[in-house]
Amino acid sequence: MGDRIEGVKKLFTSKSARVETNMGDAHYDKLFESCQARIQELKTQTPRENRLDIDDLLQDQGIDRRSFMKWASAVTGMLMLPASFTPLVADAALLMNRAPVIWIELSDCAGNTEAMLRSDGPKIDEILLDIISLEFNETIMAAAGHQAEAQLEDAMHTFKDKYLLFVEGAVPMGMNGQYGTIGAHGETFYNHLMRISKHAAAVVAVGSCATFGGVPAASPNPTGAVGVMDVLKGKPLINIPACPANPANMVGVIIHYILTGQVPELDSLLRPKFAFGYRIHDNCERRAHFDAGEFVEEWGDTGAKNNFCLYKVGCKGPMTFNNCSIVRYNEGVNWPVGVGRGCIGCSEPDFWDKYAYERPMADANIKAPTGGVEKTVDEFGLGLLTAASIGIGIHAVASVIAGKTENKEY
Amino acid sequence: MITKQLVDQIEGEASIYFDIKDEMVDFATISFPHFRGMESILKGKNALDALVITPRVCGICGHAHLMASVRAIENAYKNAGHKINLNQKIESIREFTLLMEMVQNHLKWIYLTIIPELQKLHPTDRNSKPLKGAFGASLAAKAIATFAGQWPHSSYMIPGGITCDPTNIDVLKAQSYLDELISFFEKESLGISIDDFLAFESCKDFEKMNSDISYLESELIKNDMTHKGHSYDRFIVLGEHSFTKVSKLNQTKAMGADVKYVSESEAYSPNEKTYAINALYKNNFYEAGPLSRCMALSMPIVKNMHRRYKDSAYSRVMARVFELAYLLKKSQSLLKKIDISQSSFVSPENIKNITAEGVGVVEAPRGPLIHKIRINEGIIQEYKIITPTQFNIGSSTQSNPTPAQKAMSGVSIQNALFIFRTFDVCSVCTTH
Repeated sequence: MGDRIEGVKKLFTSKSARVETNMGDAHYDKLFESCQARIQELKTQTPRENRLDIDDLLQDQGIDRRSFMKWASAVTGMLMLPASFTPLVADAALLMNRAPVIWIELSDCAGNTEAMLRSDGPKIDEILLDIISLEFNETIMAAAGHQAEAQLEDAMHTFKDKYLLFVEGAVPMGMNGQYGTIGAHGETFYNHLMRISKHAAAVVAVGSCATFGGVPAASPNPTGAVGVMDVLKGKPLINIPACPANPANMVGVIIHYILTGQVPELDSLLRPKFAFGYRIHDNCERRAHFDAGEFVEEWGDTGAKNNFCLYKVGCKGPMTFNNCSIVRYNEGVNWPVGVGRGCIGCSEPDFWDKYAYERPMADANIKAPTGGVEKTVDEFGLGLLTAASIGIGIHAVASVIAGKTENKEY
Repeated sequence: MITKQLVDQIEGEASIYFDIKDEMVDFATISFPHFRGMESILKGKNALDALVITPRVCGICGHAHLMASVRAIENAYKNAGHKINLNQKIESIREFTLLMEMVQNHLKWIYLTIIPELQKLHPTDRNSKPLKGAFGASLAAKAIATFAGQWPHSSYMIPGGITCDPTNIDVLKAQSYLDELISFFEKESLGISIDDFLAFESCKDFEKMNSDISYLESELIKNDMTHKGHSYDRFIVLGEHSFTKVSKLNQTKAMGADVKYVSESEAYSPNEKTYAINALYKNNFYEAGPLSRCMALSMPIVKNMHRRYKDSAYSRVMARVFELAYLLKKSQSLLKKIDISQSSFVSPENIKNITAEGVGVVEAPRGPLIHKIRINEGIIQEYKIITPTQFNIGSSTQSNPTPAQKAMSGVSIQNALFIFRTFDVCSVCTTH
């Protein structure tokens, strides 16, 4: 027991698990100045031709300045910046047409692109589709086929070393990469990724497939699928897992990049802390029922009708890090826990094999570093402490790497 | 001479190899060079894991996969002697979210694919406004999320029912998203009311309209799509639903159909490796999707189009527009049918006690989606997925082409590429 308490303490104090919401005035003053300087510099650049002007577009859409500023302040909050940054965030959004984004799809289902197509916020659809210069996206761009290939080459050349590369989908490494090829010359996904990432300012892996291999990598991993982080070396990399990744988090990363020119602070799995510094369980609307020991024992029972905690029917919220419980999905309409489905842990590595929904957590064979967590919540009180420690534990497994990724400036 | 064309802006990517004679396509083969191995991933896992894995086959029709999985498992329950009886509330909610997924798919296809592609064939000054499609789709996705938690990749259907227990307010919320979507579609796309639109009896009625849809219709005619893109004039509908009728049609002659006659054949793609497999019905190729469903329903305007232009690219595209309007109305009536006092879930036998085979068939946006499962004490022994694009596109030999191959022959490459897209290609589903 003593060991376990020590273990829990360690986890709670580990640097990678901690979300620093207040870095002190000196830090923010300095950051503010550098952001301001960057925005000024960006303003002097002209956007590429055919880029829509966001001011005009907002007017066209009947969005007034006030709603836009409301949105900007929400994003500021999401990025964990002080309210004084709101005007800068708004400026950054207005400068989105200066940020070149290339989006490629590897071994995927296009689900993240689909999610983005109906992303949230007031008309972020527009922000992403029209305003952001999405230089190249296989599913939504206007050009097709060979023309599209030429457009990709052009974008890579024009924005050499400046573009953000978004990658959707896993990298199939089996059979010399022949499970996924692309383009006129049948380039393998691996070579495609290597070629296009070479001159990217940073790479953003979107969705669980691109981050950790996702479904294609589930046992027996027929195509030898891996995540981008497994094959890409020597590039700033940001992981935005979840299946699909939340569009709010994609927008957050882009705005952060425009604002600061930097990669946001990352956790040990290279996930931005502003989004993945939260445990689903801690902000869950059903949390009070967990604390009160009120559980859904079986779908359709009285507990289910009264929105009780889903832990016993396999919810993985206690060990999953993501901001779904705050941001929710489809413009905040709902999220899986809201419809009694429970979290399947889709933003954690290997969730298909380890977290799969139908196995309640205690049977899920997830090794917790603190030991002794095989108890179910029926057993006295352990529930609360245990649940918390597993979550943090999973999170901090790779905390050795964490030191290297913290506060890194690019 | 063989010319290779890449086709993207579909879910995933495909290559088409055109054999050109006298500047026209003589024959085309299609390759889908991606593979993830979903069926082998499912093997050995708990049968209920299929509910979270199969929706991930596809980013645009994951809900159809979820429903096919849940139907396959429920069918296995039945075959094991534990029939599950679903009440009307469960059926209506499931069907409603399925329809909303179809609606978002059709809207995006019209605005992000078909209109822009037509403008490439015949450039005009008109702004194609792709965001309209995205906006309409977002309303449909919100309506889904009200019951299903999120879209894409929702998993709220389970054998025995659904996990949500909606209140009146939830139903009202879904209704308001749907109402907003309907007025958006009437105002921005049709320019007239859905009722008036569905009451069309002849193609001449389009002359009364001036909107995105009448523009689409007239552009199709200008590009002579009324006389191009013909396929076998055979149609197949296999999923049982309140919004269509299971049938196979030879031209207009409708007969019953059964999923047991579906078989598969190796694809023929000599120029590049393809992971696609062809799907056939009674060893023949049949066209699947909105045109087939509208024909099965004998929708008057679609039958009129068919009488004039048969299964041309024009009929294929316009049938989808009419289906979209029809499904919006149908969704409204489904919502009205929901009696929230009914139970959301009928507790079935523990899956560990189930050893059986099951088949689940659903009409997905592009046509019949078939899932077959073999379970031994709750563990998946074998899982098989057959998708609509395997019926429509696949790739076969010149003497026995698939519907898409047949539709692409005898026209220019540019026209063939457009016709290819009238089938609404989904590469990720095809190979899964």
